[in-house]
Amino acid sequence: MRILHKSLIAAAVLFAVAYGGAAVLPKTRVPDTVTSVDLNNDELIKRGAYIARTADCVACHTSPNGAEYAGGLAMETPVGAIYSTNITPDKETGIGNYSLAQFIGAVKHGVRGDGQALYPAMPYPSYAIMPDEDLTALYAYFMADVKPVKQQNADSTIPPVLNWRWPMAWWQLVFAPERDFVPDPNADEEINRGAYLVEGPGHCSACHTPRGIAYQELALKLSDGDEFLSGAVIDGWRAKSLRGEARGLASWSQEELEQFLSTGRTDKVAAFGAMADVVQHSTQYFTPEDISSMAKYLKNLPPVKGRETSMAAKTDTTTGDLLNGNYTSRGALLYTEHCTTCHRADGKGVERIFPALDGNSAIFANNAQSVIQITLEGGKMPETSADRMAFTMPAFNHLSDRDLAEVINFIRNSWTNQAPEVKAVDIAKIRHFVSGKAPHINATGDQHE
Amino acid sequence: MNKTVKWSVIATAVIAVGVGIYLAQPPALTEASPISFEILDKEKNVVGQYIVPDDTAIPQEPNAQEILYGKRLMNETKRLLPEHVGASMNCSSCHVAQGKLNMGAPYFTTSNSYPRVMPRAGKEVDLTGRINGCFQRSMNGKPLDPDSREMKAMIAYIDWVGQKVPKDQKVQIQNAGKINENLVPDPMKGKVLYTAQCASCHGDNGEGLKDSRGDIVFPPLWGDESFNIGAGMARTYKAAAFIKYNMPMGVQQHGAWGQGGVLSDQEAVDIAEYFTHMPRPDFAGKINDWAKGNKPKDARY
Repeated sequence: MRILHKSLIAAAVLFAVAYGGAAVLPKTRVPDTVTSVDLNNDELIKRGAYIARTADCVACHTSPNGAEYAGGLAMETPVGAIYSTNITPDKETGIGNYSLAQFIGAVKHGVRGDGQALYPAMPYPSYAIMPDEDLTALYAYFMADVKPVKQQNADSTIPPVLNWRWPMAWWQLVFAPERDFVPDPNADEEINRGAYLVEGPGHCSACHTPRGIAYQELALKLSDGDEFLSGAVIDGWRAKSLRGEARGLASWSQEELEQFLSTGRTDKVAAFGAMADVVQHSTQYFTPEDISSMAKYLKNLPPVKGRETSMAAKTDTTTGDLLNGNYTSRGALLYTEHCTTCHRADGKGVERIFPALDGNSAIFANNAQSVIQITLEGGKMPETSADRMAFTMPAFNHLSDRDLAEVINFIRNSWTNQAPEVKAVDIAKIRHFVSGKAPHINATGDQHE
Repeated sequence: MNKTVKWSVIATAVIAVGVGIYLAQPPALTEASPISFEILDKEKNVVGQYIVPDDTAIPQEPNAQEILYGKRLMNETKRLLPEHVGASMNCSSCHVAQGKLNMGAPYFTTSNSYPRVMPRAGKEVDLTGRINGCFQRSMNGKPLDPDSREMKAMIAYIDWVGQKVPKDQKVQIQNAGKINENLVPDPMKGKVLYTAQCASCHGDNGEGLKDSRGDIVFPPLWGDESFNIGAGMARTYKAAAFIKYNMPMGVQQHGAWGQGGVLSDQEAVDIAEYFTHMPRPDFAGKINDWAKGNKPKDARY
């Protein structure tokens, strides 16, 4: 009994220290600078607007059909959905009362205006390397140029205890250190600019780097470890590996990467899922120099140790079979009925209209989750100024899990593609996940799937 | 440890294991949910459901090879029957999703609809005659021998899609969607809309698009390789009904082609007037059409 007593007391003390510490910790992260910002400086506001594009604030802080920056987008985590917040300068429901110091505290250090820690759904571990001058410009843009919208923030769907915010303060201490961008002395200025955009404002790693048990990104930059940009699953989508390996970016040329980032398409592929939002709201607005820097940096990323750097040679027998009416599997019959019109017998699609399936690294990824999700849900390319129309893929959720597995296996292993097999139960799991997604919220009170 | 503690620990462990097993259970597999339509008898009683068949059911048919050949001929008419197809068109260019889409000129009830008296011909036309009408008009080509392997295969496919619904019963489908035929077309507006909504695929000059092998991806909408003036698609309101419900493709996240639903009746009529009246091949047999009257107002001759 005495031992029980003692451990209870110890636990209580520990809890008190943890809880109390959590109240103090965030305050140490917020800068105490009192700089006045000239909200009439058009040059500064314009620069801030561009920085907002590079940081893609709008994609997460806007819900479908909702007002810009008013929040309400549901972001799925393994324990529930977090809603993005209203970051318009509305004084009541937005960030209209934020000082520059509070703004920097939130964006770079994950500390809300009221001193509470933000969940790492906000990519402040990446934004941490952005210089304060850029944050000042960003602040000027938000305060002076963004339209205030009255929209209350929504509570997360994370269950009690797990939704406690205060442990995040300790999380931040461990996983979101204060840090600056460290240029690679062996790389040229262009590559370093690309590295900064990718690591910092672009927060590519928030989706493309796997996360650990505490939801922390396993690497925030290349020197942190081989996990950096090595591919991960987020919101049910598989964000591909961006490393120079066969199933990463090895099959992409720098020119293709540039085209993809600035227009959302190449002759072979199209952005879909969360990446469509990234292109539509962020990268299509990048200067050609920034696009080229990013592409160059990404193309220079080494393969993850131990991963294949090229695919085994494979001869395409699929095209001939389909053209000759030689349907070698149930998957082939399904492909002919449901997919051929757009993706074609040769799996090459139609340039800039329907993506290719053959040789498309999103298709032959080891993890089939994105292929499964887009087949179930459909998808849409980003709208950019480069093309007159943005095309969709219709949902095929009316097919059975077994047939979806058949046709997806056909696609992933036909022509020159080679990928691990998926099972009907993999489809069932993702169908289940997709149907359980939390709805987005916007000012009209509408809920959108 | 006293008994209560012991039992609480055991109970908690059992519950934890139970919850763990429950959470680890993969969700049950979902079966297909095919599209279906009611079947009515002569007295309009619902007597069953017509279920749009999936191609994966074809191999179980006794004449599977013939049906599959017919399906291929429909999808790749130009490539497989170049002697008979003058235009760069396939049957499936207009018969959306292999003739399995409601309002997209489906084959659902085709077998049961012929022979019948067609106003255009002014006489009874059977299914072979109807198919050959397409070959000479929409395909701007030459008819097939009614007894040929190709004609029989195409009919086998159409029969299979029809799923042997008895001839005196009616499946509640629509071959074409509704369009307001009282609207006055404005081809100038149609041209602007065409550029925005159609030209990405069909080309700024209506030339369509072919793949690297020369096979049709998007059919030409006017010019020498398009359907001729005798085709139903050359008529403004027929074309408008088609495009309103089936075009553009790849704009929705549902439907076989992600098609339709973005144009108003007026916009569809404007676009249809514009592209149908662009230059296209003549149809020699036109002198026999509507010989007995009943000529529709959008007839081209």
